[in-house]
Amino acid sequence: MNWFRLNRTLHRDIGYFCISFTLVFAVSGLALNHVRDINPNYVVERAEAEVNLTLQASDAEINAHLLNAFNLDTAVKASYWESPSRYKLFLEQGHTITLNLNRQRAVYEAITPRPIIPALNRLHLNEVRQKWVVFSDVYAVLLIYLAVSALFMVKGKYSALSWRRGWLVLLGTAIPLAYMWL
Amino acid sequence: MPILNKNKRVLGALLTFASLSMSDVSHAETLHFGEALTHQPPVAVSALLASPEAYLDKTVTIEGTVVGVCSMRGCWADIASDARFQKLRLKVQDGDMVFPMHAKGRKAIATGKLYAVHLSQAQTQRYLAALAKRNGEDFDPKTVTEGMAIYQVEPVAVDILD
Repeated sequence: MNWFRLNRTLHRDIGYFCISFTLVFAVSGLALNHVRDINPNYVVERAEAEVNLTLQASDAEINAHLLNAFNLDTAVKASYWESPSRYKLFLEQGHTITLNLNRQRAVYEAITPRPIIPALNRLHLNEVRQKWVVFSDVYAVLLIYLAVSALFMVKGKYSALSWRRGWLVLLGTAIPLAYMWL
Repeated sequence: MPILNKNKRVLGALLTFASLSMSDVSHAETLHFGEALTHQPPVAVSALLASPEAYLDKTVTIEGTVVGVCSMRGCWADIASDARFQKLRLKVQDGDMVFPMHAKGRKAIATGKLYAVHLSQAQTQRYLAALAKRNGEDFDPKTVTEGMAIYQVEPVAVDILD
């Protein structure tokens, strides 16, 4: 049996199998790395407006004033006094208007669910549970195989085990080690 | 060209499968999370927060309007109390339940265990300072001389009604 050829064939075919898995984890990994900067689940659009309201205004008057401030013609689902100076108005689709009486300012937030990325994140974080963990474990084992088998893909001066390209392997090892020890 | 067409068909099938499997079905009328709700009569949130020791570590059912949702992970939802300026948080481990943002303003019924999160004096100062900042109010940390407890419910069953 030609082990070199077998390794290349397995590396190629397992690589094909892993393409979508890798994209799932890579795209969601980018999203999760920057979760503090970009909300991965929703696009949140904000608008601010100055208001002129007092505590004496009724809830109905406040609602009408807030909807008018943002030129909205939509049904009010619910309202809530969070504190004596902070009032929330809930609209359709989870949109909200938050009033701050102390600052005399209102903020309108419209939310739109992002496509695809939340689903990828749920897979990445194993939030779907069930059988996904089995596929996830299989993928992890296959990645280990792809990494190790890559060392034996090429013979000669461009082999991963030669100095000419081996430094790339060493560099890739040194970076995580440096973060672990420094 | 036949090979190219065949490849296009395979790619098209893959994309269709991917989009179908990721389609969002979260706008159903009533959203169910966890187990089925029991018919335990609800406790008013105000009563629960008035004497939390009586309910601590016990299973309670509460109901109220959803007035806040974790936008990043959907791992908590705030339920408005029947009393003004009060709310009670449903908190789950990430992924156990994922509350959607569009649940805000809808009525929720939840069953779960009430527990306390005890804050040290310093944590209480930071917590109250953050609340005051958000409300645009003045706050003097020196007025806080001891820690406080925040009460939350770890739900096992939640229905969010339309």
